[in-house]
Amino acid sequence: MPEVSALEQLPVAQARAGDPAAWNALFRRYQLPIYVFAFELLRDEQAGRDVVQDTFLAAVRHLASLREDDKFGSWLFAIAHQKCVQHARKPAEILFDEVPEAPDALDDGPDELLIRREQEAAFMNRLAQLPPSHRAVLLLHFLEDFSLADIARVTETRLGTVKSRLYYAKKALRKLLEADNENAA
Amino acid sequence: MKTPREILLARHRAAAPQLDAIRHAVVNDLSRPTPGGAWLANLVAACLRLLTAPWRELVLPARRTWTALAAVWVLLLVINLSQRDPVSSVTGRLARPQPVMMSWQAQQRWLNELLTDRAAPADTDRPRNTAPRPRTENGETALV
Repeated sequence: MPEVSALEQLPVAQARAGDPAAWNALFRRYQLPIYVFAFELLRDEQAGRDVVQDTFLAAVRHLASLREDDKFGSWLFAIAHQKCVQHARKPAEILFDEVPEAPDALDDGPDELLIRREQEAAFMNRLAQLPPSHRAVLLLHFLEDFSLADIARVTETRLGTVKSRLYYAKKALRKLLEADNENAA
Repeated sequence: MKTPREILLARHRAAAPQLDAIRHAVVNDLSRPTPGGAWLANLVAACLRLLTAPWRELVLPARRTWTALAAVWVLLLVINLSQRDPVSSVTGRLARPQPVMMSWQAQQRWLNELLTDRAAPADTDRPRNTAPRPRTENGETALV
């Protein structure tokens, strides 16, 4: 499944030429997803806003290092992830939280996890309870539907690690939501 | 029913005005005309980009290949060093004559000279000249 941004025509080429309108369009597209990603990782509004600002400034400065225009989204999130790590009190917690290997079958996409209105608050709470490394992978998967390879690139981890983190994160989240449902019933 | 993406974005939509302000600030900074001295910074940045271009174009895309090549070279160097003949290094060290060797050499030279003198053949041992002498000389001998 292509990532969310792959379906859009992003004015990356114009931004390379220094067109402010192109930058404005790009930032408008990504400001909220990046803020959500940063806030949900760091659990701090101010830090979330700082990450957004630092990410935008770094993107303007280093756009020349982007090789493929259609990877702009994952490239921008990679910068945001680095900024989050810099903001985090325990960066190692975000980067190096190893989990066992996941089974090969990983076929359920984000659309299969649909949440009822009454479950929304519980979903947000349960998401916050996951370890930061799992949360990061899950957020990238939910927000932009990045491929596993792109998530690995963004989080600077191995593909197998991303696979296992995503598997266990989804499993844990589903389990927590089901337990909530049973308690409510 | 909502997707997690919809829930996450909806949950934080209240932050949009602040994010808009951040975006405007960054974009306005971009559209502001560059100050007089900025051309130098731009030039330096362009030069840096030019210098790092080969690194990005040649090395980074094939970094595994380059690393493997470097590893092979290191391996070859290690093998070469480990298989170097230890005798040659010893002879190399002894190439410069030590004081003991000097005296030994001097002794050898003296012995050689001595032996050369002894080995020199005496007059009686020298091969005789068998060529016939002139007749005139024969007569002188007879007179004597």
